[in-house]
Amino acid sequence: MRKYLGNKTAILLFILPALLLYTVVVFYPVVQVFYRSLFDWDGLSEAKFIALDNYKRLFHDHVFFTSLYNSAVFAVIIAIVQITIGTLLAFAVSEAAMRGRKFVRITVFIPVVLSITVVCQLWLAMYNGEYGLINKLFEAVGLSYRQDWLTDRHTAIFALAAVNAWQYMGYHFALLLAGVKSIPESYMEAARIDGASKMKAHLRITMPMLAETYKFCLILAFTGGLNAFANMYIMTSGGPGTTTYTLTYMMFRSAFRVGEFGYGSASAAFLVIECLIVTLIINKLIARDPIVY
Amino acid sequence: MRKWTLALISATMVMGLAACGSSNDNKEQNSANTGNQAAGNNAAAANAGDSTNSSSTESVKLRIYAQYADEDTKGPYDYAVAELKKAMPNVELELDVQAQDDGQKLKTYAATGNLPDIFQAGLDIISTFKKSGNILELDKYADDFKAKIQPSAMNTLVTDDGHIYAFPYAGNEVAMLFYNKELFAANNVKVPTTYDEMMAAVNAFNAKGITPLALFAKEKWPTVALYDMFASRNDPAGITKLDKGEAKASDPEYKTAAEEIVKLVKAGMLPKGATNLNYDQAAALFHEGKAAMFLNGQWEIDASTKALGEKLGYMYVPAADAAAYESSKLTFSGGGGPGGYAVNPQTKDPELAAKVAAFISLKYAEFKFTQRGTPMVATKVDAPVVNKFPPVMEQLSKDIPSMKTTAFSWGLSNPKFKAAIEDAAQSLMTGGYSPDDFVSDVDAAISSK
Amino acid sequence: MKTLRMKYPISNILIWLYALLSVYPLFWMIAYSLKNNDEIFVTNPFGFPTHFRFDNYKTAWTSFNVPQYFTNSVIVSVVTVIFSLTFAVLFAYAVARMKWRLSGAARIYMTIGMFVPVQVIMIPLAILMRDFHLANSYLTLIVPYIAFNLSFATLVFYGFFRSVPVDLEEAACIDGASIYRTFFSVMLPIIRPSIATMIIFVFLAAWNEFPIAMMLISKESLKTLPLGLLFFQGQFTTDWGAMGAAMTIASLPTLLLYMLFSEQVENALTVGSAVK
Repeated sequence: MRKYLGNKTAILLFILPALLLYTVVVFYPVVQVFYRSLFDWDGLSEAKFIALDNYKRLFHDHVFFTSLYNSAVFAVIIAIVQITIGTLLAFAVSEAAMRGRKFVRITVFIPVVLSITVVCQLWLAMYNGEYGLINKLFEAVGLSYRQDWLTDRHTAIFALAAVNAWQYMGYHFALLLAGVKSIPESYMEAARIDGASKMKAHLRITMPMLAETYKFCLILAFTGGLNAFANMYIMTSGGPGTTTYTLTYMMFRSAFRVGEFGYGSASAAFLVIECLIVTLIINKLIARDPIVY
Repeated sequence: MRKWTLALISATMVMGLAACGSSNDNKEQNSANTGNQAAGNNAAAANAGDSTNSSSTESVKLRIYAQYADEDTKGPYDYAVAELKKAMPNVELELDVQAQDDGQKLKTYAATGNLPDIFQAGLDIISTFKKSGNILELDKYADDFKAKIQPSAMNTLVTDDGHIYAFPYAGNEVAMLFYNKELFAANNVKVPTTYDEMMAAVNAFNAKGITPLALFAKEKWPTVALYDMFASRNDPAGITKLDKGEAKASDPEYKTAAEEIVKLVKAGMLPKGATNLNYDQAAALFHEGKAAMFLNGQWEIDASTKALGEKLGYMYVPAADAAAYESSKLTFSGGGGPGGYAVNPQTKDPELAAKVAAFISLKYAEFKFTQRGTPMVATKVDAPVVNKFPPVMEQLSKDIPSMKTTAFSWGLSNPKFKAAIEDAAQSLMTGGYSPDDFVSDVDAAISSK
Repeated sequence: MKTLRMKYPISNILIWLYALLSVYPLFWMIAYSLKNNDEIFVTNPFGFPTHFRFDNYKTAWTSFNVPQYFTNSVIVSVVTVIFSLTFAVLFAYAVARMKWRLSGAARIYMTIGMFVPVQVIMIPLAILMRDFHLANSYLTLIVPYIAFNLSFATLVFYGFFRSVPVDLEEAACIDGASIYRTFFSVMLPIIRPSIATMIIFVFLAAWNEFPIAMMLISKESLKTLPLGLLFFQGQFTTDWGAMGAAMTIASLPTLLLYMLFSEQVENALTVGSAVK
């Protein structure tokens, strides 16, 4: 068996196309980013080698810390919201007895299908301080809780995270549903014959079996959150001021608005390392042994 | 299982299609010219026409990267292209529409050696491309253009190093505080000349449920302009002194400006959620009589006159006291800087490209002057005016000779300071950002220059 | 079974509410596409349009190259889906199931692609495309799209392969099937739900991708829909309804695709129980 699964030719044939393309088109530019982060460079003219100066500057730049904080807030919120709701919905929809599950399955994915521009435009209208739907709802239930959701220096990042969490929940739902579907029915049936309640059975059987899917969902949510850019770009342009900057946004500003490509590369390099560490931690935390049925 | 095989079959079919697609690519590259022609024609609407039988006059095709998004940018471009067709029928322009991306696409073009023959360049692009050799020095091609430039607009042609890199058309534009005369009169509010009067006006309008000042602070430059208006009451150089590192935000002239703005913002000077208001929304407030004042460049006169007619006026910026008001009232925030149509040094025929770039800039100015009723253009125009100047423009043109200007945020020369003041000024508009925060953020960018 | 349905009335209601909330943007977008500016911004931003202005669709379809953009988007997205899924599923199988020393490292290496902000590698990428002489062809988009979707797709497939019982391969091995045979006729059918899911995901990513297209495409005849939409925005600053119509047209294929392939995910049920 070991020999069977250790077929060298087969392994090479299987991995080479992906490995080659990925290395040239994705990894090589990343190496460039790390290399360029050691230079004082505007992206076009001759670059000056300055070793780690860009990184030293990063740690004295409070925009960097704002960005770091925002990326973390963003990542944590979307991870919690998306995975929790995704799990609950996936369990519910996989239930043969649920009414209209097909409808639910299709609809909760709709926000994912729409382009991020459409969704951001909708939420810009919803959040609007004067005539936005959200403030109107608060008024309707008699709360005088009017807010400038996107222009308050402290709530803006949460308001943005909510939009992203809502839009891409469907991703996690679809992944988890596919996971639940590939677990043989017999396991759940066996558990239920044993007298476990539905919820308990899910906790004991389904969720551990989905470990790999969860691991992936976590990585996806965290790296996606740390990388957040489009929501800010469309909805707040990083503002008010720098309050909704993320590392990606900061990189964009440094490289193109300020013309400091080297410095922007340093914040991008930091981001890549940060994501790598988070991924490794998630990998360590969730069991990696293949599940044996 | 049937559905699955179906999917596989359709997949293989598309694979075949893909193969056809890639062979088409090659063909497309061979016939790239015709493809481009089609694209150019399409984008430049009716202006491009016969491209077939002009080989006798040796037709030349130039790629141009220009703004072409709304009425404001399409009008002059179409006009210039039509005029070019008359003057140089052998030159054909292939338009590549400029992206709103802080120059990212243009810089990528430069990095890959794919720069268009002619492109629009602001001061930041000029200074970056100058260093990297991506912009042609136009000194020897500029004699004709120089003869036509308004003496007062020489600053938009020649950069600090004494050379010419772009042919300007915009002239020295300024930011203005517009107001609705009827709203002030109906509510018994005095047009403010001092900070105290400004505060009184803010309170009076708020009491009536009228927004005192509409500001589209989602864009950052209007917030910088507002700050600069206040700062230039204390020092006529305004933000340009900070830009050059000759002053610090902690200096009293600059710090008090921030303090006054924060006070007014806290009193409710701006509409709710101002930092997320775009131009359309803020202008609607002012045009519909829901806001008493409005900050924008002088190019707003056209639109606001259409909406408000005789009710439209502009005020000088309030200052600390009456004396300061009088002495500083002709200092306007804004002003022009080098920028306009520039030329790629790698272009096949630099002389021709420069000639075309200069021609287009001249026609832009002509269009703005004759059709849009704006006297603030870089070059002299001798064509007759089609749309006559609105009354506010007449009034403004009387101020022009003795006017002093500072800079718009896009005319700042230190990109690091520019980014910092843009972010900090926008934060000021939220009211939750203290003058001390402002000072420390801005000074951090000045000192690290 | 009947009792089950009655057991969770509250949670059912909540799920239904959530589903409705998810449909809302679709409704909003379609309503938007049938309104005029005044309704969109002031009088009726969230409700049903008072008149159906179908003219908006005509304006959107005819005044720009929408059919061309549409075709380009289809070509680019379909080719991207086929190749990135093929490459990813092969790679994932080798990493998840086969025994070789560097498989763990290879997987982590592949993961890095997920957290590279595309903005920062734009310039190196543009230079790369130029050096490969791919500039101004469909491949200038297709090649990066395939490469950028590899990380994501590989990781998803990896997760699914890991949860497949080992005894399947053992059985196939004992039956004398080659490793290739095992892969194609035993493993692939099992992970069918995830392939269906990934077709949707990768298609969506390619269909909606914007930054790379923005940077690398300048020829009108190669523009994809998101890029075309951007220039719509300028064109229609005075006509937002037509903009909404264009957005609706652009969203249709992805919606249809999802409905089609999510069925595949559902049907996997039978396969899943048949395996054991």
